[in-house]
Amino acid sequence: MIHTENLSRRFGDRVAVDCLSFDVRAGQILGLLGPNGAGKTTTIRMLAGMIAPSSGSLRVGGYDPSKEPECVHEIVGLLTESPGFYERLTAEENLSYFARFYEGIDVTGAVDRNLERMGLSERRRDRVATFSKGMKQRLALARSLLHGPRVLFLDEPTAGLDPEAARDLRELIVELSGERRTVLLCTHNLTEAEEICERIAIFRTELIAIGTPAALREERFCPTVRVRLARSKVGLLDALRDLPFVQAVEAEPGDGGLLSVRVDDIDRDRPRLVARIVEHGGEVLEVAEDRKTLEDVYLALVREEA
Amino acid sequence: MARSPSNLLFVLVIPLLLIGQATLLSWILPRFLAVGVPGSSTLAEGLGDVERFRVLLLDQFRFFVLVIPAMVANVFATLSIVEEKMTRTLEPLLATPVRTWELLLGKILSGAIPALAVTWASTGIFVLLTIALGWGPLLQWVIGASWYLSIFLLTPAVSILSFALGVIGSSRAGDAKGAQNLAVLVVLPLFALIAVQVIGLVRFTPLLTLVLSVGITALDAVLLRLAVRLFARESILIRWR
Repeated sequence: MIHTENLSRRFGDRVAVDCLSFDVRAGQILGLLGPNGAGKTTTIRMLAGMIAPSSGSLRVGGYDPSKEPECVHEIVGLLTESPGFYERLTAEENLSYFARFYEGIDVTGAVDRNLERMGLSERRRDRVATFSKGMKQRLALARSLLHGPRVLFLDEPTAGLDPEAARDLRELIVELSGERRTVLLCTHNLTEAEEICERIAIFRTELIAIGTPAALREERFCPTVRVRLARSKVGLLDALRDLPFVQAVEAEPGDGGLLSVRVDDIDRDRPRLVARIVEHGGEVLEVAEDRKTLEDVYLALVREEA
Repeated sequence: MARSPSNLLFVLVIPLLLIGQATLLSWILPRFLAVGVPGSSTLAEGLGDVERFRVLLLDQFRFFVLVIPAMVANVFATLSIVEEKMTRTLEPLLATPVRTWELLLGKILSGAIPALAVTWASTGIFVLLTIALGWGPLLQWVIGASWYLSIFLLTPAVSILSFALGVIGSSRAGDAKGAQNLAVLVVLPLFALIAVQVIGLVRFTPLLTLVLSVGITALDAVLLRLAVRLFARESILIRWR
């Protein structure tokens, strides 16, 4: 549904996006992660046909946004970082105004349906100026859905929202993806990205890594088991290192009872690891997977790149 | 934007000031400067110097009133794009399939129609005020083909001219103030039109008024095409902060 190849954009001497290549299939949620100024918004604007790339190729829903922007606008919904509205108009008037730009849609029906879906029907006749940030964000999502787009570009949709409003919005995004809508989600919220994105692209001007959250973790970090011992025996570390599936064993500094063991496969190797410890007189208090979060992966990759 | 109290105030205050000023000038000036005004020497034969000069001044209202569409349309135009930038509605708007000419035409109509309505209403009020002040008989020398051409042809043309300049300024400038500087380009020549008539340099006959209207309409067409071309969506999006 979305395809980019060596997509680049320069503003004068500054390179905002450099040789970005990725694909997103229909119905998938791709999280676009990167520090401020990484080029996320520029990428979205290029994909939405609002600014042209300096070089490279891109296609959205089969259209080239730089050559057929109007066609792309028909199939794409955009949620901008700041949901701008005509604050003196009501929610209904705002949506009706934007809905009229799309040909062949039932304006009243589209407005009613999307206000209902976003839980804003009760406030439809209230001025947007009286809305909370969360309500404005939901109204902005309603606006981006008026024409039933196949592709959604969401730029920081939960930024500044309270936890409950953010959770509601995340649920909505997952629901939309379930309707075979392709979602490109720019976010700084790594937990959110891990929770709802099938794939993650980490980039800072250029693409650093792309894959599922699990694959990115595995690529960057070996599976590790942390073992807390009540008592250890001399020679235990060497005995563990002799195991064929163990890649490394480290005793945590300052605490002789805590081991960090890198293995090939946690689920398969954990029982055998515990058995070896017990055989050598170790008393195990706790065994747990040292699970790296997407945040660990992101920070490691971005710092490495910097 | 039309719902903004400050804009509505502006739309009401400017015409009232102009009507008041034109009436006051038509009342006071002929008492002191009636003799030897070149522009009035060939007007309204059979009337005295004071009444002739008053006819000349009343006739200037058709140019004087052009300041209304020039300023109102320009304010609406300049605010139309800059305000969209400031309220962050421009990006969602440009994400719709709207074409640039459609967007600008919409902006023009939303600015020019109220500007024209206010101008015509002001003209009506001015005529009624003139009658109320006992100058009704003088209107036969004022309201004629040239007057109608000015009100119904020249005024819309000036309104669109002002709007087009405003849109061009608005789409190139970073703020409303910078954009509104272009309003001077429209307002100053209007005062020049009045000046050349009063000093007797040119008399705006129906033919000359028609030529002027057609000329400005042609300029409108050129400027509108230019406005569409200069409306660089990309730089507008990138430059806004």
